[in-house]
Amino acid sequence: MPSRTGSHSPTGIGKSLPERGLLLLMVLVLLEGSVIPLGAASSPDTGHQKNVDNHKAEGEKNHTKKAFPVLDLDYRHIQTPFEISLWVLLASVMKLGFHMIPRLPGIVPESCLLITVGLLVGGLIKLAGEKVPPVLDSQLFFLCLLPPIILDAGYFLPIRPFMENLGTILMFAVVGTLWNAFFIGGLLYAVCQIQPANPNELHQLEILPCLLFGSIISAVDPVAVLAVFEEIHINELLHILVFGESLLNDAVTVVLYHLFEEYSAAGTVTVLDGFLGIISFLVVSLGGILVGAIYGILAAFTSRFTSHTRVIEPLFVFVYSYMAYLSAEMFHLSGIMALIACGAVMRPYVEANISHKSHTTIKYFLKMWSSVSETLIFIFLGVATVDGPHHWNWTFVTVTVILCLVSRVIGVVGLTCVINKFRIVKLTTKDQFIVAYGGMRGAIAFSLGFLLKKEEFPMREMFLTAIITVIFFTVFVQGMTIKPLVELLAVKKKQEAKRSINEEIHTQFLDHLLTGIEDICGHYGHHHWKDKLNRFNKKYVKKCLIAGERSKEPQLIAFYHKMEMKQAIDLVESGGGVNLPSAVPSTVSMQNIQPKKPPPAKPVEKALPKMTKGREEEIRQILRSNLQKTRQRLRSYNRHTLVADPYEDGFSELLIKKQKMIALEKKIKDMNYYLTVPAAPPDSPTMCRARLASDPQSYSSKPAMDRVPTIQVDLASPQSPDSVNLMDEFRRADQQEEDQGLTMKAPSGQSGFNRPGEADRGREQQKLTRCLSDPGPSADEEEEEEPFLP
Amino acid sequence: MGSKSSSLNKIPNAQELMQETGFSAAHILRLYERFEFLDVDQMGELRPEDFGAIRELSMNPIGDRIISAFFSPGKETVDFASFVRILAHFRSTETNRTRDGAQPEPANSRTRKLKFAFQLYDQDRDGKISREELLQVLRTMMEMQVTEEQLQSIAERAIQEADLDQDDAISFDEFRKSMEKVDIDHKMSIRFLS
Repeated sequence: MPSRTGSHSPTGIGKSLPERGLLLLMVLVLLEGSVIPLGAASSPDTGHQKNVDNHKAEGEKNHTKKAFPVLDLDYRHIQTPFEISLWVLLASVMKLGFHMIPRLPGIVPESCLLITVGLLVGGLIKLAGEKVPPVLDSQLFFLCLLPPIILDAGYFLPIRPFMENLGTILMFAVVGTLWNAFFIGGLLYAVCQIQPANPNELHQLEILPCLLFGSIISAVDPVAVLAVFEEIHINELLHILVFGESLLNDAVTVVLYHLFEEYSAAGTVTVLDGFLGIISFLVVSLGGILVGAIYGILAAFTSRFTSHTRVIEPLFVFVYSYMAYLSAEMFHLSGIMALIACGAVMRPYVEANISHKSHTTIKYFLKMWSSVSETLIFIFLGVATVDGPHHWNWTFVTVTVILCLVSRVIGVVGLTCVINKFRIVKLTTKDQFIVAYGGMRGAIAFSLGFLLKKEEFPMREMFLTAIITVIFFTVFVQGMTIKPLVELLAVKKKQEAKRSINEEIHTQFLDHLLTGIEDICGHYGHHHWKDKLNRFNKKYVKKCLIAGERSKEPQLIAFYHKMEMKQAIDLVESGGGVNLPSAVPSTVSMQNIQPKKPPPAKPVEKALPKMTKGREEEIRQILRSNLQKTRQRLRSYNRHTLVADPYEDGFSELLIKKQKMIALEKKIKDMNYYLTVPAAPPDSPTMCRARLASDPQSYSSKPAMDRVPTIQVDLASPQSPDSVNLMDEFRRADQQEEDQGLTMKAPSGQSGFNRPGEADRGREQQKLTRCLSDPGPSADEEEEEEPFLP
Repeated sequence: MGSKSSSLNKIPNAQELMQETGFSAAHILRLYERFEFLDVDQMGELRPEDFGAIRELSMNPIGDRIISAFFSPGKETVDFASFVRILAHFRSTETNRTRDGAQPEPANSRTRKLKFAFQLYDQDRDGKISREELLQVLRTMMEMQVTEEQLQSIAERAIQEADLDQDDAISFDEFRKSMEKVDIDHKMSIRFLS
């Protein structure tokens, strides 16, 4: 981290100080700004009321004319949205601020810093004597702040590792949470009972409230886990284990919470209630998943028809998911599991249907919302800590903290012994340690505690204090130390390298192989069912839920196109290399073009002779003028329509064109001439939908043009007989062309030679930029003719 | 226990097989029962048609390659010992009992597993996966849903990525290298057999 800022040179360091000062000033102003309106809000309310009455009374008597108010301050009118916006702004500015401080983000996880900020803000508000906005104790938390985070997690959940480890995850989530709840609750009750010298209050604590407390505090919190684990980059297996556990234990928590809350009043729980609890658990979890899956399928089905209204595609994803959450909450099912199921189910189909821009939109909106939500949650946690009624009891709190740790460790170790009998890849001690250590509690526990009613639970304040302490302990102590511990124990980190096409091919091959071997053994194992599901998916489901041609596209092709597109974009972004052969996505390979590598050792067969400067300039001129014309043809912008993406509409024609180009290329290749290869993948919608590394709009055509790699056309000398054949070949090919897709009207003379190369390059460049911007569909066809006429 | 050992006696060379492959007696028995089930004409040997009778295997894109992997080149039948030896490749690596250095590498070591997979690609057994062989595999896996040039480009890219010595084919070492990030023990093990 220091090295990065250091590279900015001394001016950078000098700049950062006033920047920081400015930031702090802004923060203080904001804080004051948020406090004052709160103050202003509460006091003049009554005053205003009285004034209105007075005025009314007066008005009835006198009808006096008052001066027309030119400038008026009416805060009450906009109060609520204004305050919400202020809080969100505060949260975001805080996030900015942290990353400006040089070394802090590396040591302290963001969640700790945010809680600290929340404490400060809470303190300020308290000093100003105002009421803290009640966020964590109202439904606002569960209905507004939590869903974005969960949806973000569910939509981008890595399905394969999740499914492979599902058994383990379920064991930890269900059995582990149950164990934690009963262990903590039971032992707390025992401890409270045994101390005779203690103040009486602890003796009052019944077993059921203790168990309720245990169930609230035992659940691992997804928000906290995400916040911390995101920064330590451990390997995928551990990440998915802890994270999956935090998601799936919601069902257990919901059931236990409601069970104990209901029966605390009654005072006893019978065996029948326990039995009902188990059934309720099944209903809650499976019901939640079912609700989520239904909404997911609805969303996928809807997205099939959105080809004409691309603008609102992301909206469907968000709204359906949110409704899944709300519907599940309506029936007291597990909303979190519904949300996860919805996101996971709809994703493969929706992604196949929507445009690449919508995909980017969804991704960034989800990230944005979840980020803001997370920040707000931690800040409010700090604020509520300062505010909330506390009742500190040394025994209770310390015992709680110790029991949480102990029960977690015992639970994880015990369960791993059982789980390892069924796993192929066993969990090592290091893994177990990380899983145990990563079990953090967070805001969900706090909110659940806050929701308890004071009348039924006189010990509510004590509970809240204990919950806060545990949360602080796990987030601060465990959150801060987990990173050095991971380094110390040399736990395997996340592998950053991208998947190569080889891995993809071989993995699929091995899947088929294992399925075959399982069939030979007669064993209906993991692979067998996965294969069956895939077949079912391919045969029936994909046909219903994916529009048009895409339903038949195999996964490998989609993967391959994404890779090629990504590499093409990287290349354009980095400016390409002047001496490298061919630049744009080619059928043959992008491997030729890696700009970061030193010039390839095999230049001879692949390298193409450079063009003269003059030729290069000519090409640039032509391409530039074409692309400018293209831009001028953009239709006027209308908020309700996006210009149609030509690739998605004219797929089949482009495919035919492409095939013709390929056939031509083959003919040319046979004659041992290398031309730049025609661009194939850009035609396919998948290519266009490939995840772009950055915002497409940033790729204006200009920068790409200025750094255009040279076209290198390997030619025999123009006078050789072969060259003449080539030209004839082109002319013949031309006459065969019905449409104007490849107007390689090679003129006579030497200049004609380079034209075909240009034609390709021009087309390719156009296609590439077209993928990135959205010209009108008509722009393509007409432009091609002009540069290539003699 | 008694019944098990007597059923074990039915199986020729049971002890040797257990020693060689690392299967336990229960596994050998289970495999023997399966072998007998597949062997419809009770000849003590399996023929390709017996494998073909397994319905799901016929739907598998690489089904026939798997079947032919059981048959050593030139032979037309598979006896129980070869059956077990091939399946030994799919045992999980972690249940290996300690062995002394003198014994040959167990069948389910990572290298042997990869070698088995490699041989499924390399049908002509020349020690390399040529472009044509790779294309064939891709063609069968994709089941005619893609165009020829798409296949060509994928194969080209795959070879370019993996081919380190520029001979336009993937040798076993290159194959192994390209798979180093994949958890082979997990991907090529069947729980049933461990």
